[in-house]
Amino acid sequence: MAAENEHGKPPGGAGGPRKLDRREVLAGLSTVPALGLFGYAWQKQRHYQRARADAAVTPAATGDVQEINVALLGAGAQGQVLVDAMLRIPGLRFRAVCDVWAEYNLRRVVNSLTRFGHEPNGYEDYREMLDKESELDAVVIATPDFWHAQHTVDCLKAGKHVYCEKEMSNTLEGARRMVLAARETGKLLQIGHQRRSNPRYLHCYDKLLGEAKLLGRIVTVNGQWNRAVAPDLGAPSRYAIPEARLRHYGFKDMAQFRNWRWYRGLGGGPIVDLGSHQIDIYTWFLGANPSGVMASGGLLYHDPATHEWYDTVMAVYDYDTPAGPVKAYYQTQTTNGSQGYFENFMGDQGTLLISESEVNYAGQLYRDPNAPAWDRWIQEGYITAPRIQEARALEDGAVADVRESVSPDQHTVPVVLRDPYHQPHLQNFFDAVRGTGTLNCPPEVGYESAVSVLKVNDAIEAKSRLAFTADDFHV
Amino acid sequence: MDPQRPVDQVRRFSHEAMATIFEVHAWHPDARYAAQAAQAAFDLVDRLEHDLSRFRANSDITRVNHLAAGERTRVAPSTLECLVIARHLFHLTGGAFDVSLGTGLLSLACEVEDMTVGMTRTGVRVDLGGIGKGYAVDLMSGVLEEWGLTHVLVHGGFSSVLALSAPPGLDGWPLTFSHPGAPPRVLARLSVKQLALGASGLRKGDHIVDPRTGEPVRGRLAAWAAVPRPASADEGPRAGPRQRPTAITDALATACMLLSVDEIQGLCAQNPGLEAWIVANPDGGAIGNAQMLHFGR
Amino acid sequence: MNANTFPRGPMVAITVLRVLVGWHFLYEGIAKLSAPAWSAADYLRQSRGPFSGAFRWLASQPDLLANADLITMWGLTAVGLLLILGLFTRWASIAGIGFILLFYLCNPPFVGYFYSIPSEGSYLVVNKNLVELAALLVIFTVNSGRFAGLDRILGALVARRPPLAGVPS
Repeated sequence: MAAENEHGKPPGGAGGPRKLDRREVLAGLSTVPALGLFGYAWQKQRHYQRARADAAVTPAATGDVQEINVALLGAGAQGQVLVDAMLRIPGLRFRAVCDVWAEYNLRRVVNSLTRFGHEPNGYEDYREMLDKESELDAVVIATPDFWHAQHTVDCLKAGKHVYCEKEMSNTLEGARRMVLAARETGKLLQIGHQRRSNPRYLHCYDKLLGEAKLLGRIVTVNGQWNRAVAPDLGAPSRYAIPEARLRHYGFKDMAQFRNWRWYRGLGGGPIVDLGSHQIDIYTWFLGANPSGVMASGGLLYHDPATHEWYDTVMAVYDYDTPAGPVKAYYQTQTTNGSQGYFENFMGDQGTLLISESEVNYAGQLYRDPNAPAWDRWIQEGYITAPRIQEARALEDGAVADVRESVSPDQHTVPVVLRDPYHQPHLQNFFDAVRGTGTLNCPPEVGYESAVSVLKVNDAIEAKSRLAFTADDFHV
Repeated sequence: MDPQRPVDQVRRFSHEAMATIFEVHAWHPDARYAAQAAQAAFDLVDRLEHDLSRFRANSDITRVNHLAAGERTRVAPSTLECLVIARHLFHLTGGAFDVSLGTGLLSLACEVEDMTVGMTRTGVRVDLGGIGKGYAVDLMSGVLEEWGLTHVLVHGGFSSVLALSAPPGLDGWPLTFSHPGAPPRVLARLSVKQLALGASGLRKGDHIVDPRTGEPVRGRLAAWAAVPRPASADEGPRAGPRQRPTAITDALATACMLLSVDEIQGLCAQNPGLEAWIVANPDGGAIGNAQMLHFGR
Repeated sequence: MNANTFPRGPMVAITVLRVLVGWHFLYEGIAKLSAPAWSAADYLRQSRGPFSGAFRWLASQPDLLANADLITMWGLTAVGLLLILGLFTRWASIAGIGFILLFYLCNPPFVGYFYSIPSEGSYLVVNKNLVELAALLVIFTVNSGRFAGLDRILGALVARRPPLAGVPS
């Protein structure tokens, strides 16, 4: 047969397609399967890239949205942070800004909003604002903690949806009134535990802990917020608030007005200002409220004349989670800023070190050497490939090269927030206002968090372990 | 120390930000009040750094750097103003000062109307390192003035300096320019007030890349630029670059490391008030022999 | 040189080499095609060495750059496909050599020209680009498609077609 084809037909037999030797055809096509293999590998690679891209991208807001009329109540440092985030959210119209420091903060925020094409009215009295601004849909509250309950309840009752900064209130009684007011009015109330909407935290909660269960059984948690010493906040003397107005709003002088976080009856000290964010994550990730807390703390460094709350707090929570008991440690201090803030979840199969910061501890994972391989989750794009620690060739016959310990492989959470920290949580609130989403931190959740956190100050005072009952968390 | 000298009654406050040290030198009778004012100015620097740093994943500049062709993002007014000034200086220096380091600054569209930055091309990378410190110093001086501190000198990393009024009893804030070689040798002594100064230079192991050619700069050891502080400070991104003198001198000092002597002369002639100094080392010879040249005024 | 003049063993090895090089080209091309708005500009701008001037100049010419981008993306893809299939192997090899030569010259590992991007190995004059170039040279000279590839079928068809002059009808 070969011979027949090889040496051909007689020249006269030409015409029509020639028959080819099968062996030649096979040889000719022999490398085509490589293309199929390439196609398969490429599909896998595309799937992986898409998964990673999906994980990394914050869902973009869609073009045409119903405009929401908003007001800011409380234009201090935190209010300005929220405005900064809200200015990047499409479909918001600032109608009003309210702050008792009309001479400074109010003027600054109104000017800044004007620069962005808004025409907000400025108010010193929030009641006047609620009376006059009938078109308001929502109010964002960033006033001192001891004002939260009254501001929120009055805004809800005036028919506005409310985003209220944490801590929900400085008292449980106040927090309870807020929950009830939200239920009564049927208006939305989001509490500002903004990590609940942070895409990296959501990824950890849904994918890493929920679906992949990468850490196995979580037994311990520790978290810290370390902050360097800073001088008390002051105010430009020419813009001081008249004493009568200060007293009217519950402050004894300008210094207390600026540093209310340190005063009993006004704020809750660093454990509430800082710890509240992170202890809320403990509860969220562990899927249970704490069953008890013991704590030690004190005013170790700052001047007692101007600081009433503890500048240093260390607390240990007990959790009875569905998976078993957990001990969770928390520390906050305000005399040294090294190591900043983070939460560290430790299970029998791995560790998750996470923080809100996009600079430090932006989601690191360590696998226990004995835990099942994480390859599948790497391919799914849930976590990055590990930064492999150096391997060293062993001498013949040696079991191990004894030396400085090698740290375990480090993976990272491939989710990056490109927007200001508070933007996703505010976006979630406004989505809910438009009816296209549900609140990530409704008042019931904020209340549970307040119960857990405010108890720390009680435990320090009591110098003993305080227990929680299920009823404590219920309104 | 002689307690009679007013300069000794000047209080100094330091703060770490933007990978360097910011300082406020202020003459004020109330130490506590001055400290609080300085802290308010430092808080502002931290906020600015958060928006301007390309090392933060969620800063304005990182978002701008991740824009693909045709995309836009909204930024803080200060970010936009900083970019507008940077563009202005790009044109002023014929591209010698380029915050995009040759990746295409002109592909960046700054829309003051709605505070957005748009990108007409993918792959532009902005780094405000050459202007951000000076810009921060400008805004800090605004805060300090609001607090009623006027006898003030502010600097970011010693390379971006803004002097307001001099301490009582002095004609100006005493400053020096030093030769960048080791050991440093004082080349000039100045007494300044209402003046912004920027410095740029090569220490051992440093290099500055000319964005126009991609080549490292040779033959220039140090450069300084100075412009007077304008009388009234207007706010906002429409205020115009002149209201941000330290941002300008910060950038021009960098540009003076690259521009030819003729170009610097031209720049000073076109911009009354601008002064520049360079330490040139054209042959790359022994740096101890390098001489300082002065332009403008 | 003719594919038939080599024994089978080396020819199989060279075919494997051809498929692997083709795979690499194909993915380089496809990865660029599927990346949003890929451009060679960054790579060109980082050019070092004696030819950096030309490459930087190219990066600064938007029109030329756009053409260079298209040629690179589609060229790499086409060369990769042809090498894997063994079709027009010699032309594909020549084109591949051209591409690699440009990449090599853009950032040659010559003495004193450090590479600005951290690279995964240590190179002196010879880097993996140059090795791949040499591999294409081998594929070109033995015309490996004639041994295993569509060129063989094509060749057989062409060879078998009787000379035009000899066609009686």
